[in-house]
Amino acid sequence: MFSLIRAEVYRLLRKKSMYVYFCSLAAAYALIAFVRSGGFNAESIVGDAVNFLSLLPIVAGGFIFTAVYTDDLASRALPALIGSGMSRGGIVAAKLILAAMLGAFVFGLAPLVPYATHAALGFAASGAVMARIYAAALKFCLVTVGYCALSGAAVYGLQRATAAVVLYILLSLNVVGGLLAVLLRNALGEAAATAIASRTLSGITDRLLDALVGSASALPPLVEFTAYTAASVLLSAALFYKKELEF
Amino acid sequence: MEQPAVLRTDGLTKKYGAFTALNAVSLTVRPGDIYGLIGRNGAGKTTLFKCVMGLAAPTAGTVAINGESSRLRAERRKMGFMLAPSFFPYLTARDNLEYLCRLKAVRGRGEAERVLSLVGLRGEKKPYKAFSLGMKQRLGIAAALLGAPGAAVLDEPINGLDPQGIIDIRNVIKDIHSREGVTFVISSHILAELELTATVFGFIEQGALLREISREELRESTKKTLTIDTDDPQKARLVVEGMGAGDIAQNGSALVLSSGAERAGLYARALVESGVELRRLSAEETTLEEYFLRLIGGKSV
Repeated sequence: MFSLIRAEVYRLLRKKSMYVYFCSLAAAYALIAFVRSGGFNAESIVGDAVNFLSLLPIVAGGFIFTAVYTDDLASRALPALIGSGMSRGGIVAAKLILAAMLGAFVFGLAPLVPYATHAALGFAASGAVMARIYAAALKFCLVTVGYCALSGAAVYGLQRATAAVVLYILLSLNVVGGLLAVLLRNALGEAAATAIASRTLSGITDRLLDALVGSASALPPLVEFTAYTAASVLLSAALFYKKELEF
Repeated sequence: MEQPAVLRTDGLTKKYGAFTALNAVSLTVRPGDIYGLIGRNGAGKTTLFKCVMGLAAPTAGTVAINGESSRLRAERRKMGFMLAPSFFPYLTARDNLEYLCRLKAVRGRGEAERVLSLVGLRGEKKPYKAFSLGMKQRLGIAAALLGAPGAAVLDEPINGLDPQGIIDIRNVIKDIHSREGVTFVISSHILAELELTATVFGFIEQGALLREISREELRESTKKTLTIDTDDPQKARLVVEGMGAGDIAQNGSALVLSSGAERAGLYARALVESGVELRRLSAEETTLEEYFLRLIGGKSV
């Protein structure tokens, strides 16, 4: 598993389009902030930054998902991994670790984009402001990793990149969550639907963010998130277990 | 003590519903072999490799690599393979191989450069997506040779190559086999090419391994026959039988001797001296293709 992580890190560091893409995102934020420049305060910066971060699960997470998961399908590298003696469970676990690593890297740097932009425009965010922004970054990072874990099941179960990417996009646009909420509301009523919605990935990470900026314990939502991703990994591994690989 | 077989399958069977893709295939690849797996498209060659490399689970039977059937994943690490060139399009040849070095935990700096030199791709800076088919196949072979494995499995390594590319790949394989002692298992449906490369042949048809035969045994089976066409086959038969020829078949006015092609000159002189009119005297060799067609009952390849 560690050999795969080493190899994948080597590959991702040489994926030039990744640098271009993420630099373009940062440049787009800076441009928008420049156009809207003037009258910044702590609240507006937090608002702008959180809006920016809330888009990242789709715009950056989508890239992370394709780079980590579906590049293998496009280049038919999965047979090479199995043929090299990798265990299927190890591949699934390694990919999630990689998605988490890349997510942590991207979401770790992402708050620096609003910080640097606003600093350049004359407003340096305080430590407290940055803490709130980083709390939001953690939430959206976990959302991204969770969606990657869920969509990974499509990668290993179907071996179809398009289906997996579509699933990731539907999850990150909250189409799946929205449909689920409507179905639950009609079937079980408003109260039950709300209770269940708070147990979805989005609900769990919302509670985590509330805990981080408030005084509640962050442990319960973190445990739930871990259970979510562990269940996704087990599902992926089960779907992948005896799946024949095409090449 | 005899070395264990590099690859051995015993009763390997793979079924997809009612369709049997592999039917109790038992083959043995010994150290030092260039094992040519011959079969038509859809005969089961790739399915066999999939089962060997762990890409498909066999329905029945066992696979043993280097004598190990229980720790297959560890043994697969020691084996090179090229099932279809599958590399990241945005990486160069060297970067793709460095990726595989890390994946296979191949030690030693310069290993990627070493195998690139073997296949003539050293110094190539283009990304993989800009490679020609021949370059892709070469890179596939280079990947199979990473870490100096004792054996490499190559599935259709000359598919789609032009004549020069085919010659290049053949030379690469033969060179590595003789210099580095690598055992190769090569599948192809291009029989003429395998005839020039392999030392052992396995013939597979409709999922069943029909025969395994060494190059020497094949040569014996396909050795030259001598056809003597005369105006008087009875008299000609007496003449050649008198000279010790055996196993003579008659086809019209022609006699077909299963051996003795090297004595064609002596037969010709004796026949002419005995007054027989010699119309045609030709030595013919059965090709691998004819042998295979005979084996599968004449269906075209």
